[in-house]
Amino acid sequence: MAVLATGVLFAQYQKKPPDFGGTYSFPTPEHPEPRAAWVHVLDIVMLAAGLGLAAWLILKRRSRPGVLVLSIGAIAYFGFYRRGCICPIGAIQNVTLSLVDPRYMISAGVIVFFFLPLAAALLFGRVFCGGVCPLGAVQDFVLLRPVRVPRRLDRALSWLPYIYLGLAVWFAGWGLHLKIGALQVQWGRRFLICEWDPFIGLFRISGPFHMLAIGAGFILAGMFIGRPYCRWLCPYGGLLAILARVSWKNVSITPDKELDCGLCADACPYGAIRNLRADRASCLACARCYEYCPRELETRGGPGGGDTLVQVKP
Amino acid sequence: MNDKSTRRQFLDRTGRIIGFTAIGSAAGLLARRASGNAVYQVDPFKCTSCDLCRTSCVLSLSAVKAVNDFEKCGYCMLCPAYMDVNSRPDEKGIPAGKVCPQDALKRRVVGAVDQDDPNNNYYEYVVDETRCDGCGKCVKACKPPAGNGSLRLEIRYTRCVECNECAIQIACPDRAIVSVPAPGMAPMESPVEGKKS
Repeated sequence: MAVLATGVLFAQYQKKPPDFGGTYSFPTPEHPEPRAAWVHVLDIVMLAAGLGLAAWLILKRRSRPGVLVLSIGAIAYFGFYRRGCICPIGAIQNVTLSLVDPRYMISAGVIVFFFLPLAAALLFGRVFCGGVCPLGAVQDFVLLRPVRVPRRLDRALSWLPYIYLGLAVWFAGWGLHLKIGALQVQWGRRFLICEWDPFIGLFRISGPFHMLAIGAGFILAGMFIGRPYCRWLCPYGGLLAILARVSWKNVSITPDKELDCGLCADACPYGAIRNLRADRASCLACARCYEYCPRELETRGGPGGGDTLVQVKP
Repeated sequence: MNDKSTRRQFLDRTGRIIGFTAIGSAAGLLARRASGNAVYQVDPFKCTSCDLCRTSCVLSLSAVKAVNDFEKCGYCMLCPAYMDVNSRPDEKGIPAGKVCPQDALKRRVVGAVDQDDPNNNYYEYVVDETRCDGCGKCVKACKPPAGNGSLRLEIRYTRCVECNECAIQIACPDRAIVSVPAPGMAPMESPVEGKKS
């Protein structure tokens, strides 16, 4: 039967379009063009505006509600609208690959996305983590009951981002080709960070099982541990932490005079307050500590808020 | 104390200057290599319609779609990409099964219509993009000599989210997902054989 059908088929077979004698006009296949240049510019403008706004809200306005609103904006735009693409964390790999392989084409937008938050970290600390990164914002919102992570464990785990960064750079640029005896490993170049990203599955509302499982795991863990991905895995966070060490401005918990009361250290869910000062490398600029500082509340008009100015003698 | 803080400030300032220099020079080095905008596209000469476009895309319905080039399509009644030639023929001897598992390849009769003999008619084949999942079964069936090769897979930029890295590109065994400058047209000539697509 199949042979018969194939025979009929070849009898019918046309090598080129038939002549319709003017009764039919050929449709032109449409090829939608990629996003227009202004959309890419919009991404960059949104990033730059987000960084600027985050720096202003955190360092100048000292406003936790402002940071929350900015985070919602970041989740909406960079998360759900741009579907977790384009992101500076993944851009590590694009930049690596374009440095290693000159044939690799890199978009100008990706370069800006990689370097702009780094420059911002040199100026204002990790404001990208605090208000612009949708991955950070998601974890910030799910944090319900932060438990204190032992200091030593925290320090040990904060080496992980650099191991992950090394692996990601190695795999993006070279891949793994090993031969140990009979065991042969052949892994070509791959973008590990994109393959194992915990939250793009959430932003895209779909994804391979391992991604969704890791995402669910991080969200569950993130309810009790402050931002586990940002602190102990994010390779870009590792880069930002290095640069934030020498940042020009950074979070100073008290608006003017330090009290050494320690209330802020209890408030920080990320263990970023060392010796009662915000540690520039690990401060994720969430602005939580301001709300707990007696001096801050005093400058805002009394511990209860409102108009009554309570004078507290330190 | 004061001395210590000036020392700290000096170190910070030096670090900042080094940081800015490093960022600036790396960005400058890369900027010369940057193309305005690079996008992904399927190279039809490398593509073997292996089905990985359907499963690998980050979107639940792949951004890769089959596209029919009408200038090359034969408008045949018995289209090998439309009908499954190995399926059981019906009473008229026409294969009853369809190639597309999603029933995304649609056809309508065009030109001068012969009501009595459907074999005498021409059909226009259009891919329904809302159903097509980019599996490439029709593309495979349309390849010469069985077909004209008018169907091919293409990344549709109305759907593609332009990831940092294309997940299909990683998965593709034929390295058929290539980076091309915008507007992202697929290569029209094979680099090897110099033949047209």
